[in-house]
Amino acid sequence: MTETPPPVAIENVRKSLLARISMVWAIPFLALAIALFVAWQAYDARGPLIEIEFADGAGIAKRETELRYRDVSVGVVENVTFSSGLGSVVAHVRLDKAVAPYVDAGSTFWVVRPELTARGISGLDTVLSGVYIEGSWDSTIGPARSRFKGAVEAPLFQSGQKGLQLALRTTPGGTMTDKSPILFRGIEVGRVGKARISQQGSFAIAEAIIYNDYSHLISPSTRFWETSGFTFSVGPSGAEIDFSSFATLVGGGLTFDTFVSGGDPVEDGTVFEVFADEPSARNSLFNASEVETLEMRVVFDGNIAGLAVDAPVELSGLKIGKVQSVSGVIDANAFGDNRVRLNAILSIQPARLGLQDEVTPEAALRFLEARIQEGLRARLASASLLTGGLKIELLQVDDAPPAPFVTGEGIVPIIPTTQSEISDAAATVEGVFNRINNLPIEELLNSAIDFLNSAEAFVSDEDLRETPQDLRALLGDVRGIVTSQDVQDIPGTLNAAIGRFETLLTQLEQDQLTTRLATAVDAAADAARGVTASVEGVPALVSELEAVAAKAKALPLDQLTTQLTALTTSADEILGTEAARQLPADLGAALNEINATLAELRRGGAVTNINATLESTRQAADAVATSTQDLPALVDRIRRVFDQASATIAGYNKGETLSRDAQAALRDISKAADAMTSLARMLERNPDALIRGR
Amino acid sequence: MEIAGQNPDIISARDLGLVACNRCAKVWPAGTQTCARCGSRIVARDTKSLQRVWALWLVGLMCYVPANVYPMLRTRTLLSVQEDTIVGGAIELVHHGAIGIAIIILVASVVIPLAKFMAIAFLAISVTRVSTVSKHQRQRLYEVVEYIGRWSMIDIFVVAILSSLVQLNTLAAINPGRASLFFALSVIFTMLSAQAFDSRMIWDLQTKPEGSSAND
Repeated sequence: MTETPPPVAIENVRKSLLARISMVWAIPFLALAIALFVAWQAYDARGPLIEIEFADGAGIAKRETELRYRDVSVGVVENVTFSSGLGSVVAHVRLDKAVAPYVDAGSTFWVVRPELTARGISGLDTVLSGVYIEGSWDSTIGPARSRFKGAVEAPLFQSGQKGLQLALRTTPGGTMTDKSPILFRGIEVGRVGKARISQQGSFAIAEAIIYNDYSHLISPSTRFWETSGFTFSVGPSGAEIDFSSFATLVGGGLTFDTFVSGGDPVEDGTVFEVFADEPSARNSLFNASEVETLEMRVVFDGNIAGLAVDAPVELSGLKIGKVQSVSGVIDANAFGDNRVRLNAILSIQPARLGLQDEVTPEAALRFLEARIQEGLRARLASASLLTGGLKIELLQVDDAPPAPFVTGEGIVPIIPTTQSEISDAAATVEGVFNRINNLPIEELLNSAIDFLNSAEAFVSDEDLRETPQDLRALLGDVRGIVTSQDVQDIPGTLNAAIGRFETLLTQLEQDQLTTRLATAVDAAADAARGVTASVEGVPALVSELEAVAAKAKALPLDQLTTQLTALTTSADEILGTEAARQLPADLGAALNEINATLAELRRGGAVTNINATLESTRQAADAVATSTQDLPALVDRIRRVFDQASATIAGYNKGETLSRDAQAALRDISKAADAMTSLARMLERNPDALIRGR
Repeated sequence: MEIAGQNPDIISARDLGLVACNRCAKVWPAGTQTCARCGSRIVARDTKSLQRVWALWLVGLMCYVPANVYPMLRTRTLLSVQEDTIVGGAIELVHHGAIGIAIIILVASVVIPLAKFMAIAFLAISVTRVSTVSKHQRQRLYEVVEYIGRWSMIDIFVVAILSSLVQLNTLAAINPGRASLFFALSVIFTMLSAQAFDSRMIWDLQTKPEGSSAND
């Protein structure tokens, strides 16, 4: 027992204080050190707290919602509170220390939510992960700030997305699709932001960005136009529907082109106009004055139905612009009451005013201002009688009441108005219609119906219906005659006769009859000459005859006429007899006979006979020629007879006693005349008789 | 043993001038520095044992704080990401009606570790002071603490198994939270702390006054 204490004592002596403390104590100290270091590091790495104010806190959750920059989390919402007065929601965001300095006064924040648009779905990841706050700031450190106001939607210009910033405004009266892509050759090269409507409502303007890679495509001669919608055309190749892309079909879009190469690069903030389509964009380039228009407005009282956009604005009959937009305006301050007035915005093209020095809107404004001081007033006038459309006329009004003319930046100057001159075309047209209304159309229709009724009754009459049948029967008879063998034989017989005659003529030619014929003809010509000479006395004879005729006219000829008529009637009857109808058959027989005769002639050496005949003919002609030489004497004698006759007729007029002689004389003359007539008829019928001597 | 514990005439090996090798259990005469059989160092009593116990106990406790503050499991499903602390997860389970599982988790992750901390602290204190608890009970307590200590790792196993099994890419994924590391460290350090305790001391201090009073 006593041995035990010494070793204990020895041990106690042997061990120093340091040795008594175990090395294991290093572990808790190390752990503590590590913990402290980590804690300090965590505290040190903690960035500042910023407050972002939003209209609502949709989806923003404490310690979950992240603040992202370029889709990388750079902070987290630590708390969500209300602003004083519960007006908005304040998200307290703990920033990462590394980015905190960059979150300066120029930063913007917005909440990214899932969004379904025509261009597609954006922020789809937030459906699963919840919304997040996206921040945007530039890469320079600016003055610090800890309280921000969140944007409603993502800004067009996100920092880091460099590009050319433009402003796009609508053309007068045009439209524009905002928040849409800008396409170039179908590739998105930029975006249009949200458009604002100008104060006067005359145009819309929107910010746009052209991404840096494409900004060189823009020059001052670049023109933008709408590509939204589609075109549908039917052509030879079939129906065609054309749209640039589905996104632009639904959501609209803009495109542009630089029609003229060259030009300086444009600067940020340049304003371009958006045209409705490519042609108008192209046209605008070559008609600069169309673009730089002067805007003025006219406020009309009263009824202005008919004034439409694009209606012409005329100055002394010359179109100087058009109506850009028409709207109602109520302004109790300016006009003194609450009536609705017509506010027409005019776009006047300075180039058409014929300004001498400079063709600018400012010059045009100065010109018009001066003119308005002198009494230039606007009025509505009828542009078209048919449509009732109106136009605006600017005209000089003498002793016009002075009107204030206000101009200035952003103010569209007002052109004072005067009494409108609207010819009431509508009223006139109405009058016309009234008159048409008053026409007795019903009575007219009634009588037309009556007429048609009786016409129907007439047409449906039994007798009339039988008429066609009678006609048909008549035609059948005629056809019977025509198709009868005799009639049909005529052409054949004629043909045969002509054929034989031709052969005869050929034979005549062969026998060289021509020369003889020529001599005969010469003789005949001589005879004719003689006749011509003897005929010279004929005019006198004719005048005598006329005198006789005149006297004869005085005689009562009516009875003669009735007799003649009777004769004609009987002749008709004769023609209508069976014998007359037999005439064609007789004719055919006669022709046959002629044929036979000709055949006989040919057979019986008729040619020689003819030769003889021709010879005698010549002699006969010679005789005629000699006898005609006696004609003048004959004519003389006849004249004397006529003289006597006329004397006798004159005497007849003097006394009744002579009438019997005269009548006898007239009868003689009549007989002589009859004889001459019969001779003449005979000669007419058979001219050959003169030649043949028969 | 119960009877022996109550019995005042229990004598320790040290009282008999013997020392046992901790490794191969060969008994040597007191004062032997090295075990001739296995070559390990032989000490009758580890004087620095309590220092190590306290140091490791402290580290274990330090780790236990973040183990409960930070999330243990990070469950990411298609729609949400959920991070649960140990107690929070248990409460969540109660809300879902899984009270049994919640109790198991609470017992394994909260009750047992806390009880271990207290037990080790009690043992470490009891060897330096006069304790009302009998040596046998304290020995039993020590054995229970040593035995049960490893079961605290069940939580870590669950996390490890879930993390490796539930990895369905975007649909769902379970990842260990930061707390799991601290919890594991806490368990490890408490186990080391319990091991560092030289249970022989339970018998020493109380036998000494008894012995001395008996001897003197």
